[in-house]
Amino acid sequence: MTALKPLGQAVLFAIIGFLIGGGLSAALVEAAGRDEMKEPVIAGGYLFALIGWLFGIGVWGSWVREWFGASVKPFEAHGWKRYFGFSTDHKVIGVQYGATMVVILLLAGALAMLMRVELADAESNLLSNTDYNTVMGLHGIMMIAVAVAALMGGFANYVMPLMIGADDVAFPRLNALSYWIVPPVAVLLIITPLFGGFDTGWTAYPPLASQGATGNLLFLMAFTTFGLSSILGGLNFIATIITMRAPGMTWSRMPVFVWAVFAASLISLTATQFVAYALLMVIFERVFGMHFFDGTIGGDAILFEHVFWFYSHPAVYVMILPAFGIELEILSHFARKPVFAYKWVVRAFFSIVALSFVVWAHHLFTSGMSGELHGPFMVLTELISIPTGVVFLAAIGTIWRGRLWLKTPMLFAMGVIANFLIGGLTGLYLADVVTDLNFQDTYFVVAHFHYTIVGGEIFAMMAAIYYWYPKITGRMYNETLGRIHFIGMFALYNITFIPMFIVGAEGMNRRVASYPAEFENLNMFITVAALLLGVAFLPFVYNMVNSWIRGQRAGDNPWGARTLEWQTSSPPPEENFETPPVVLEDPYGYGDPEAQHFEFPPDSGHAPEPVGGDD
Amino acid sequence: MINRDTVAVAIIWIVVTAVVEIAFSFADIFPAAASEEAVIVDDAFNFLTYIAIPVFTFVLVALIYSIVRFRTRSSAVDGAPEDGPHVRTNHRWVWGWMVVTSALVVTVIIHPGLTGLNEVDELAQGDDLELVVEVSGIQWAWTFTYPDQNITGSELVLPLDAHVRFDITAVDVLHSFWIPAFRTKIDAVPGLTTQIHANITELGDYDDDINFRVQCAELCGRDHGIMQSQVRVVEREEFNEWVLAQQ
Ligand SMILES: [Cu+2]
Ligand SMILES: [Cu+2]
Repeated sequence: MTALKPLGQAVLFAIIGFLIGGGLSAALVEAAGRDEMKEPVIAGGYLFALIGWLFGIGVWGSWVREWFGASVKPFEAHGWKRYFGFSTDHKVIGVQYGATMVVILLLAGALAMLMRVELADAESNLLSNTDYNTVMGLHGIMMIAVAVAALMGGFANYVMPLMIGADDVAFPRLNALSYWIVPPVAVLLIITPLFGGFDTGWTAYPPLASQGATGNLLFLMAFTTFGLSSILGGLNFIATIITMRAPGMTWSRMPVFVWAVFAASLISLTATQFVAYALLMVIFERVFGMHFFDGTIGGDAILFEHVFWFYSHPAVYVMILPAFGIELEILSHFARKPVFAYKWVVRAFFSIVALSFVVWAHHLFTSGMSGELHGPFMVLTELISIPTGVVFLAAIGTIWRGRLWLKTPMLFAMGVIANFLIGGLTGLYLADVVTDLNFQDTYFVVAHFHYTIVGGEIFAMMAAIYYWYPKITGRMYNETLGRIHFIGMFALYNITFIPMFIVGAEGMNRRVASYPAEFENLNMFITVAALLLGVAFLPFVYNMVNSWIRGQRAGDNPWGARTLEWQTSSPPPEENFETPPVVLEDPYGYGDPEAQHFEFPPDSGHAPEPVGGDD
Repeated sequence: MINRDTVAVAIIWIVVTAVVEIAFSFADIFPAAASEEAVIVDDAFNFLTYIAIPVFTFVLVALIYSIVRFRTRSSAVDGAPEDGPHVRTNHRWVWGWMVVTSALVVTVIIHPGLTGLNEVDELAQGDDLELVVEVSGIQWAWTFTYPDQNITGSELVLPLDAHVRFDITAVDVLHSFWIPAFRTKIDAVPGLTTQIHANITELGDYDDDINFRVQCAELCGRDHGIMQSQVRVVEREEFNEWVLAQQ
């Protein structure tokens, strides 16, 4: 069991850290003469436990030691053991992120099933109302974590450096750190039910979040910690794309997925700070007894909502921009045509980033904020449909008169078009103030954001999993099972979520365990469809596990795709390319017999400089 | 640019759009609208849907047509199909798309966007205000106070054809005041009074139509889901009798 030594050490250090931090906090509370002991001890203990965990897993051994002049001992392991330590290989970290997020996705999906069973009839009977709220909040935050980290932490990590011809990310140890921050988040969330759960949903609005069970504190600390991981990841990707591109990989030759990652990283790096501030202030309310958001003594509850959504709206583009990138990438390679209107797509990505920062208050139309803000935020929100529309034009333009190769990744990529079309158009009713006055906090909203995040992003994630599976594992998945998975998931997904628009319009509000009996038929229908949707994931899980062990050898480039990640072995060697590639033009030269994206220059005795380094 | 495929998609799109638009004009997805505000909201919804349908059908028709018409059979054999045409962009299509989508966005911003806001504001500012009800949310119940009538209770009774203003606040945490039959909602915030108006046009009773209910619409803890009160809209005389009986 030496393979698990880093993990064991991390757990031990975490426990020691908790004891030190908890003890210090207890002493401070004593000294200050306050009597609320429990939450300060937990918060202080957690802070030190987190540091202990990170030091134990490898931050000390392969990093911090060198600050004190000692030699570092980088983590070394082979085979499956690589995944259980502080590996700095972006491909290992990508798989760690991806596998963790798929597991969380399935767990959070199981929680959704539990909620649907409770909602099958109008009464609240299976779960107590408090348990229902906790299950709902856990489902929400776990899915948000998956949505933020599966594409960025998983696929951007694995694929983006390969696509730009780099041998790793700019800061490999920071990359490992940003992954190893995630397990404590998962642990905190999973144990919230032992501390009374939390009643607030993933949005954690005070004053509710400042009151109630200690489960709230654990949730707030988990969310804040996760934000740190996101910030570090964004910083790393921006630095990587700027400085690590292969010779000849100029900006205008970058694959569209790399642009999407760059745009999303700008948001992760800059916006995430704000949600961290907001959550920290609520933590301070609980731990130090402060009152930022208590309106009865001069605080302002609406302020929290502003700061929270200043991050959480842009965050949906951290989710969806990489999904757009994957969608267009796959459409191009499987239609054997260049990405249509490439430059417009890049412009659209950055217009979306810019606009995403000035639309947050569309979540506050019914909050009681000043009425003067309604008009401007409605106008700005609706403007986002223009760049989003460009992505649809590019998608249709790319497949138009192409040679469509309907493999599983292509099916999922086209599913993204159909689903996100519904998600985008129904957003119109929530951007428009008067229709939002009715729809806000109803099932219409639930259906809308599931269409964007599940129908859009999670379908893109599935496309990405099937597309890069042969690259990552070296083996091919089973195509028949893949198609069954697509058909089942696409059909049942729509059958589950379309009725939610209707039940919302009929007057059912969200985040409830019971509802008027009039909505029972539709809800029963939704529940049955949702359970079947859960079943549709079984062929996926079986296919992934089984094919990894005994799938056929896939070869280096089974799709005949032109981007650089397919021009090395499957899986790639540790340094990614045996000979560093030189880029000659963009990767979308389909249909042009002269086109050549790259070459591997014969070893001329010196490695070429990355382009990013010298301009 | 004009080829058989483009013409085919255009024709299918026009036909499908017409069918869907007509089908939607018969659809009736909302419960009864019981206030002037509710009519504004439903009209805005319908207008937006008429605009959204052609966009929806265009993308879907082009997508499905492409799948049917441009898929290759070579997938039976191993290896990718031959390359498609080397088309990187098409300026007329891109600019056409930009102009059309921008025009649609400007349209919905003006109407029902800004016009809808304006109409709701004008109704609120109308000088026919007749009744003020103070609403207070507390975990997990609503209290209604009629300050001019000197009534406080957990029952919300309203007169037909009246312009009513609700002054809303909360004692403990955020709640949200929503009567689905009136379509509008606003949060109840501790330490703040928010306002919402209803120009009531229909009689109604929770026992006949569950959309005559005050439903808390902002998650407020354990029993948020059942934080409801019944609403009755009654004839003017019946309202006056109710007021007398309560005093
Ligand atoms: Cu938003
Ligand atoms: Cu509530």
